[in-house]
Amino acid sequence: MTTPTKGRRSISVSATVDELVKVRAFVRDSVAGFGGSKRVADDLVQAVDEATCNVMLHGYRGNAGDVEIEAALRERKIEIRILDRGPTFDPTAASLPARDAIPAPTRPGGMGVGIQLLRTLTDEVHHSARPDGGNELTLVRSIDGHGEED
Amino acid sequence: MAMTIDVERLGGTTPVTVIALAGELDASNYEQVIDVARNAYADGSRGLVLDLEHLTFMASSGLFALHSAVRIMRGETPPDAEEGWGALHQMAQDHDAQASSVRLAAAQEPIARVLERTGMLRLFALDGTRAEAVAALQGA
Repeated sequence: MTTPTKGRRSISVSATVDELVKVRAFVRDSVAGFGGSKRVADDLVQAVDEATCNVMLHGYRGNAGDVEIEAALRERKIEIRILDRGPTFDPTAASLPARDAIPAPTRPGGMGVGIQLLRTLTDEVHHSARPDGGNELTLVRSIDGHGEED
Repeated sequence: MAMTIDVERLGGTTPVTVIALAGELDASNYEQVIDVARNAYADGSRGLVLDLEHLTFMASSGLFALHSAVRIMRGETPPDAEEGWGALHQMAQDHDAQASSVRLAAAQEPIARVLERTGMLRLFALDGTRAEAVAALQGA
């Protein structure tokens, strides 16, 4: 990869929801470090919390494990990668409700409003299975604005 | 940031409980909110105000807790964890936010945004202040 990236940073937490507070602080600090607005930080904090919570509860299902979060700025886009060693699961393949339907908020880790939020809060969501086991979920959000920006 | 919960019971013709949440509401603590709502209903409260003035973050698990609080205050069982897409859709059809016995007060912008984006504002009246929310429930 030859594209310049700015200040790649990462954090590793154990797969328990008590660690989500650290993940959110990491995302908030990273976005601020890249020069992103509070609005961009709020949206990415929400998205990463949902995705990471999903990995912890839906992926690891209470089993011990780690989740690694990486953040980088590339060509005015913030890229956040969420890496785990849980069973392969692609949230981007989850079916979406009809346009006028409202998804129910399910218990954390359920397939409810969280997936819809992920899509709403970011510009791109990519999933890939890691060759040596686990998942890599990449969330991309422009640092400069968003289609939904007020 | 952890979350703190401050509970105040108010008398009146419609007993109302005010639950003030401060900090971050997420998957690690949302069940506390459901428990407080359940206790409030058991103690005779028929109106609930969630004062969100000092809440800085709400995950979708928090939305689930709010959804549960509505069901509890209607004397119903909280929603099934696995109901998925259908439950809230169904609820939105039979629900009038202004008539709800659960009101949200003083939500900060990021919280209001997540409520709006997820369609939850169809279920909850959002009041500017805690006092307005209490007055609306007590018909003052």
